[in-house]
Amino acid sequence: MVWEPRIFKDLHQIPRVEHVFPGTPLCAGCGGLESLRLAAKILGNRVVYVNAAGCFTNLASFPFTPLDASWLYTTMGSAPAGAQGVRDALDVLIAKGRLPKEEDVTVVVLGGDGSTYDMALSSTSGAITRHLDFYYFCYDNEAYGNTGVQLSPATPYGARTTTSPCAVLHPVGAMQEKKDIFEIWRAHNPPYIATVSPRFPLDLEEKFTRAAAYQGPKLFLGFAACPTGWLFDPAYTPDVARLAVECGFWPLKEAINGMVTHTYVPKLSPVENYLKLQGRFRHLFEPTLQKEAIAHIQGSVNAYWERVNLAERTG
Amino acid sequence: MAGAARGAEPSSTNIKEGPAVISVRFHGRGGQGAKTASRILGTAAFSEGFTAQDSPIYGAERRGAPVSAFTRIAKGPIRERGIIICPSLVVVADASLIGDPAARVIEGIDERTAVFVNSPLTGEQLHTRISLPGRLTTLDLTEVAVRELGKRSALSALLGAVAGRLVGLRSESIDHAVAQELADLGVDASIIQRNQTAARHCYEAVSLVPVETSVHRGPGPTPLRVPAYEPPTRGTARITAGPNSAIRSVSGWRTYRPVLRPDLCNGCWLCFANCPEGAITIKPDGKPAVYYPHCKGCLDCVEVCPTDAMTVERETDVTNK
Repeated sequence: MVWEPRIFKDLHQIPRVEHVFPGTPLCAGCGGLESLRLAAKILGNRVVYVNAAGCFTNLASFPFTPLDASWLYTTMGSAPAGAQGVRDALDVLIAKGRLPKEEDVTVVVLGGDGSTYDMALSSTSGAITRHLDFYYFCYDNEAYGNTGVQLSPATPYGARTTTSPCAVLHPVGAMQEKKDIFEIWRAHNPPYIATVSPRFPLDLEEKFTRAAAYQGPKLFLGFAACPTGWLFDPAYTPDVARLAVECGFWPLKEAINGMVTHTYVPKLSPVENYLKLQGRFRHLFEPTLQKEAIAHIQGSVNAYWERVNLAERTG
Repeated sequence: MAGAARGAEPSSTNIKEGPAVISVRFHGRGGQGAKTASRILGTAAFSEGFTAQDSPIYGAERRGAPVSAFTRIAKGPIRERGIIICPSLVVVADASLIGDPAARVIEGIDERTAVFVNSPLTGEQLHTRISLPGRLTTLDLTEVAVRELGKRSALSALLGAVAGRLVGLRSESIDHAVAQELADLGVDASIIQRNQTAARHCYEAVSLVPVETSVHRGPGPTPLRVPAYEPPTRGTARITAGPNSAIRSVSGWRTYRPVLRPDLCNGCWLCFANCPEGAITIKPDGKPAVYYPHCKGCLDCVEVCPTDAMTVERETDVTNK
């Protein structure tokens, strides 16, 4: 079954109105900021952002804020708990008649991968289980970026971070496999989960629009190409984001009530094209070519898409 | 190298006997190599037999964020620690930092301080645009980095070489220090060689200004005062007033600026969709326009443009607009 967008078929449909304004101290070429800016065009300004500590801490550096919505700052492990508090307070106020129903706002958690995959996992799990009505937006740059690019559970095999350097005992860098948070979320059976990439803006806008129809947890995993942590020139953010999808490394998909649909079928170009653009994988190519490591990455990408094809054939 | 240590027999420079310390403060943006430059200078001085000390300071790890680094050089032991308030020499990797109060470039500079600025302008031209009391010297290191190394932010060896020349270190020790410090960072041997060549060029090209040692030129103790009461309405910033970050300019982050050629633009909006900052707006005629005070110069718009209508121009002015 080929997935078809219902609304966003042309770039000119992207709303011109901005809800994430310029002037933040976030890095030039931040893929996470780009996704958030596109998402906010759909979410609007009647929003409370509950921000887990991370790169997005820099969004609102006092006394400045780029948002025309509200912003609540929490520790890395407690953003979904913060969202629960905000949602409950709104519900109580509306039930008591102290807040008109039309002044209700949407609660959106912003978390990096360190928070999402690691520290806030139990808090998120609790919120999904309680069927909390909120959005979760994870900007996944595959490392603890704001503290200096340390290994996180989202770091893929073969990537170099400051705590998984290319060294004699582990020449490939990170030896773990990236945690499959999408499947962990899906096991909780929330109404809507999706992965998005800023280089596929129509896909992103479509998914945020679709999610709005569902009551309960709506979870998004955003590919945040990171010039600072992944060691590439900021100009290549769009290329890195595009190649991650095209080589099958970052599948674009959604899961509605647990049913997974891939929203874009990539051509599966060799992963080398994607890896070569980034300094964090450079040690796989020079001074000696680490063929096994590259084959390993290609192998896990191939295995993923074989599983997808098998699942789609057997329905 | 970190901490203080004593190297081989000192050579003759303007670094005097006794407690006099040459203190050098580097200012750059994250990713430009200010920290590595301070290490190169320290290592070079150490290899000439001086006592040296270097340390960086930075906040959140971000490209573009102001970074400072400090090197102290002396013949005897260095008792001072921590940041340098009153430097003998200030090395500025990015002229746009001078106007940024958070970067604290002008702190402790007086008419006896030597100031090096990475800029295509001469010292006199720079003097007319910004008021810096120190002895100014300039060189366009970014141009050298782009030409010799193909990377606009690869300034560490060049900054180290310029600072080394100004404090009076030998070219060979800079050469050696560049190799050692870049190798420590895992830089490829061929790239180290190109860095050394570029550094040698800058070492020769920079025009000299006198650098004085400083024993202690700190300000006297400030008398304590009881602050007057301000009502919270006056004393607190208004943060309920919506997206006020837009009043800040990020122009100073740019090395290059995207420039739209309207005749080539097909109005596809890819640049508008892919600008992480939201610095590109759509005009009533459906064509994009870059609002430069909000553009950090990441050049994502240039990369996605299917008709090459977005072109690249090098920023040359001290204060980007």
